[in-house]
Amino acid sequence: MRAYGLTLTSFIVCLAVVAAGQMKPTNYKGLEVTPLGIERAKNVALIDCPPGNNSVRGNARGEEEFIVVNVAFKVTPSFDAKTIVKKPVLTDTAGKTYNTSVSIIDAGSMPEYKCGFPFRVPLGTKAASVAIDTATINIASLDK
Amino acid sequence: MEIDRRAFIASLGGTAAVSLMDSEAKADSLEHWMEEQLDEQVAANQGQREKFPTVAEIDAQIETRNYRRGAGSLFVSGRGNVKKLTPMPKNPTLEDFFELRFAPANHVLQSATRALKTGMSEEIILACLLHDCVLNLIKPDHGWWGAQLFEPYIPEKSTFAIRYHQTLRFYPDADAGYEYPDQYFRIFGEDYKPPAHIEATYKMLKNHKWYMEPRLVTVNDLYAFDPNAKVSIDPFRDIVGRHFKQPKEGLGNDNSPSAHMWRTLANPDQPL
Repeated sequence: MRAYGLTLTSFIVCLAVVAAGQMKPTNYKGLEVTPLGIERAKNVALIDCPPGNNSVRGNARGEEEFIVVNVAFKVTPSFDAKTIVKKPVLTDTAGKTYNTSVSIIDAGSMPEYKCGFPFRVPLGTKAASVAIDTATINIASLDK
Repeated sequence: MEIDRRAFIASLGGTAAVSLMDSEAKADSLEHWMEEQLDEQVAANQGQREKFPTVAEIDAQIETRNYRRGAGSLFVSGRGNVKKLTPMPKNPTLEDFFELRFAPANHVLQSATRALKTGMSEEIILACLLHDCVLNLIKPDHGWWGAQLFEPYIPEKSTFAIRYHQTLRFYPDADAGYEYPDQYFRIFGEDYKPPAHIEATYKMLKNHKWYMEPRLVTVNDLYAFDPNAKVSIDPFRDIVGRHFKQPKEGLGNDNSPSAHMWRTLANPDQPL
């Protein structure tokens, strides 16, 4: 009984870790894409991906804010370094899409990296998914 | 305000990074740094993280300088005296100007590099490469001045992109991926409203079939302020060769409508 109790507890703990932890990676042409989380901000760094040191920041005014989707990238051997990877597009829970100013440039230039993609949205917008070309990733669970 | 020289250089990424910056970038950086220091002091007093200056506060700075902000970078030194310039060759080319008058031209090279790497057209890449070169001559209305400087030598679309990128910098466009930069809050003022001619130009551009040409210049413009980026004119030699009509007499000697502007860039120490 005690062993069963421990197993059940471990199972619940595992479920909680999976729910709160990293999402599964999505493979796009050999690039593993994993959403890490969502932040909201009025002022964001405008740095391309993989990140450099661009000093310019963007501003949201009035009834707008930025949803910043943080994403981890892993380059696998099947990724062609010449591939031009399209910018991510955010879709909200109402089906409206938003573009980001951040571009993915030289996606194969380093083996792993993390990037933040800001999307200027009306205040209170709820994120549903983010898509890179044909790869669509559900991120609703990250937007709490 | 007292300048902490070490802190300022460190804020730019160290002496190596500073050595790669042109005089305009240094002057702007110093000005921004001073404004930021002032903002931080104000913020510390008010418990706020950041405060941008107002238009009135920026206007109040005019009589604290012995130069006007619109003077081209070749004519004003951000620190100390100006340096003697290397004479231009007899028949100067665009590349000679890049090497001897626009160098290190980090911002435009970064901008063009980004356009190249994101697969933009050669007209846009060329426009990105040239879009701010005229800031060495003059800063106000630099889109129009820049277009005039290059118009006799480059494709019409590139000229259009250079002329109107200045206008579109004031108007965010999320669909195209252009955000309003906080650097504009600092240099124009948080409550700045573009003048009537800019608003009218924006209205015209919104319905223009070539809207995206200047818009793409602004998109790349936004991301071309990395002090550590390593850039070179080498990747653009072919594009310049294909699209820039280099006059055999040399820029400034060809009697084009903008030849006088090239001569001024070549010889900014002429008294008259």
